[in-house]
Amino acid sequence: METAGNTVHETCETRARAGPRTTPALSATGSPTGVEPDLEFILTLCRTSGDYFLKCFQCGTCSATCALAPDDSPFPRKEMAWANWGMKECLVRDADVWLCYQCNDCSTRCPRGARPGDLLAAIRQQSVMANAFPRFLGRWVNDPKCIPLLLGIPTALLSLVLWLKIPLADALGIGVDTGERIVYSYSSVFPHWLLNGFFFTISALVLLVTIVSVGRFWHGLNANAGAPVKGLWPSIGATLKGVFVHDNFTSCTRERPRYWSHLLVFFGFLALGMVTLWVITAGINPLMQKDFVYPFGFWNPWKLLANAGGAALLAGLSLMIFYRSRNTDQAGAGSYFDWTLISTLLLVILTGFFTEILHYLRLEPHRHIIYFVHLLFVCALILYLPYSKFAHLVYRTTALVHAEYTGRKKGRVQLAARDAVQQPAKEEIHA
Amino acid sequence: MTAAVEAAEVGYRVILVEKEPYLGGRVIRMNRYFPKMCPPSCGFEINVRRIRQNARITVYTPATVEELAGTAGNFKARIRVKPRYVTGAYSLDDSFTAQLSATRPNDFNYGMDRTTALYQPHDMAYPTDYVLDRAVLSASDEAKLAEILPAGAVDLDMAEQHLEVKIGAVIVATGWQPYDATKLDNLAFGRLPNVITNVMMERLAARGGPTGGAIIRPSDGKKAENVAFVQCAGSRDEKHLPYCSAVCCMASLKQIRYVREKNENARATMFYIDIRTLGSLEKFYYEMLDDANISFVKGKVAEISEAPDAGDLLVKVEDTLGQGNLHLQFDLVVLATGMVPAGAAEKIPFRLTYDEHGFIDGTTNIPGVYAAGCAKHPCDVSRTTKDATAAALKAIQCLNGGA
Repeated sequence: METAGNTVHETCETRARAGPRTTPALSATGSPTGVEPDLEFILTLCRTSGDYFLKCFQCGTCSATCALAPDDSPFPRKEMAWANWGMKECLVRDADVWLCYQCNDCSTRCPRGARPGDLLAAIRQQSVMANAFPRFLGRWVNDPKCIPLLLGIPTALLSLVLWLKIPLADALGIGVDTGERIVYSYSSVFPHWLLNGFFFTISALVLLVTIVSVGRFWHGLNANAGAPVKGLWPSIGATLKGVFVHDNFTSCTRERPRYWSHLLVFFGFLALGMVTLWVITAGINPLMQKDFVYPFGFWNPWKLLANAGGAALLAGLSLMIFYRSRNTDQAGAGSYFDWTLISTLLLVILTGFFTEILHYLRLEPHRHIIYFVHLLFVCALILYLPYSKFAHLVYRTTALVHAEYTGRKKGRVQLAARDAVQQPAKEEIHA
Repeated sequence: MTAAVEAAEVGYRVILVEKEPYLGGRVIRMNRYFPKMCPPSCGFEINVRRIRQNARITVYTPATVEELAGTAGNFKARIRVKPRYVTGAYSLDDSFTAQLSATRPNDFNYGMDRTTALYQPHDMAYPTDYVLDRAVLSASDEAKLAEILPAGAVDLDMAEQHLEVKIGAVIVATGWQPYDATKLDNLAFGRLPNVITNVMMERLAARGGPTGGAIIRPSDGKKAENVAFVQCAGSRDEKHLPYCSAVCCMASLKQIRYVREKNENARATMFYIDIRTLGSLEKFYYEMLDDANISFVKGKVAEISEAPDAGDLLVKVEDTLGQGNLHLQFDLVVLATGMVPAGAAEKIPFRLTYDEHGFIDGTTNIPGVYAAGCAKHPCDVSRTTKDATAAALKAIQCLNGGA
């Protein structure tokens, strides 16, 4: 750590390990310990995950228990040290916190009740907030006081485009009724061209912002890591395969409900996303049948897929809520970060189903109001993706790709390692 | 024992009540004690002689205090003496026990071997009389005993005795139990036979132990060449014993010396959170750092499982000083289990106050009752004997009108 050329990885590791033994002359920060503790960061972690992690006495039970930790520089013991030392910069650039699926085997084994699994969840939130662009949105999204503001923004945006519907149509030179073949539908109030245009615009914006945020994150990860061991594309391929089969969830031995609930939510969401893409690309989709009319009939395969996806999402979310509220020891109590995503998704899916039901019941004008609320939550979900727990979608995937890319794989059994145990020097022990 | 002889030798009458059929408690079951590495038999022999020579000491075994009433200077105790069925009128030897067939686990050796229904607890047992376990005695063994023993050597109808005694002061020296290692499910004790506890290791290393002092592993009798010592097995753990038992680090270091002294090729690895060798005991540890066959790994063992080689064990641990997660293979694993005060499971019948772990405060909540040794806090042999002397002085002060 005495030369500027050393990687952050080495600095984080050696600082935490060396701790106060580092002589002032070696300190890069000017602090006699080599570490500038970010006390505010420690307090933030205490507020979000509870102050249990302060009880950690660095025995390493958590790292040795973890089914996902690589043998080389395993987690979460080192993260527990960094958190206690207030080493924010090391933690928000740490890929390892994203390799954890919070099965909490570490927390149930911890002899001190320091709950490492819950701490890593809190660090993931801080990682999202620290890498987010712009940062103030990260703060807003994670502050309960901002809820009215956060709901107000999509309400205002949606209202604005609806209010501007006719001028916009005139300006773009399209009729409000675009001549689509439409049976009984919502499009009289919410024309498809308007919604598609609106959601395309905010999605593009969010994508841009996400790329900037994840770019920051990726840059931080690279500063922490050695040379790549394989290509980026093969890494992405291997990661996506793992994500689809949820293999990391099955590695955690004790918490099978997490696997099922996340699997349902994941594939439910994926199904809904596919149907949405299929529908909004109707105009340019060569596979779309020529006699396509809005909306799909109930027995249309796409409609069936959408309903099945919605049902899976609802079931998965209910399981999540059930297990989180019942088994707090293993599931973790859940923080504001967790619950905002769960409840936003729940509101999206409930208002979605409600919209569908009111549509079948032909209840006017209730169905339009509910549809508006539905669109509002969809908009919120997309808008706040880079700042909420929803961002785990990109951060975790990025960290997993990075782990593949740099060859950081989970535990390898090394039977011959007994010969590798080095005798610590007397001077080191008694220093 | 120490408290009894200390008080008796300055002129006080002492009644020593021991639950087991022999004196010496946990200490006599050890091979050696640290830091001088002398066998406990030495000090034990001296104490037995002091008891024998002193008419002021009355010893009751196997006996318990059933009731204690009154106040300082004027207690009344009811002592229950259980029958040992051996009258002591004739001296017995192992030629008699060899002819019996039914056996019982030998609790003196922590169940690692068995004895017949008629047995002597250990070579140096005091009282020297044999003991008969009536529950284990089979009908054929009973007939055999009637045939081989001199008439009157055994009295199968021996009754329980209840004695009422008047006493001035009480010393509670009820000692400790090793923590039940079967509660540590991740450490496989009870499931894998080559995972043993530190108290079992003392018996394995002892000349009078089940193996005659050979450190071999229970599953196949193979000489233990590569031994792991797992510190804080249940200690300093919120879910087990939240406190440090203060002796296990030194006990394991001592046991590593057994392993190394008995076999110059043997290797030992100690897994620890912190090595707690207080005061001058630090020297004992420091000297061992020069031995290339001894490794120290800073990290609490998370899991013990079967290794691919039959009987071997796989230890999973993080070396927190930087080598990451290790998966190491051993012949034998010794769990350093902590001390549970006897008061945790069984309270003596008096209104004594215990802390949440079952320990008694030294000067208890009752004037005239004093605690000593591991009934009070986890401590080593040398501290226990000093504590016993201190408790004897407190009791004497009480008898002389102090409190």
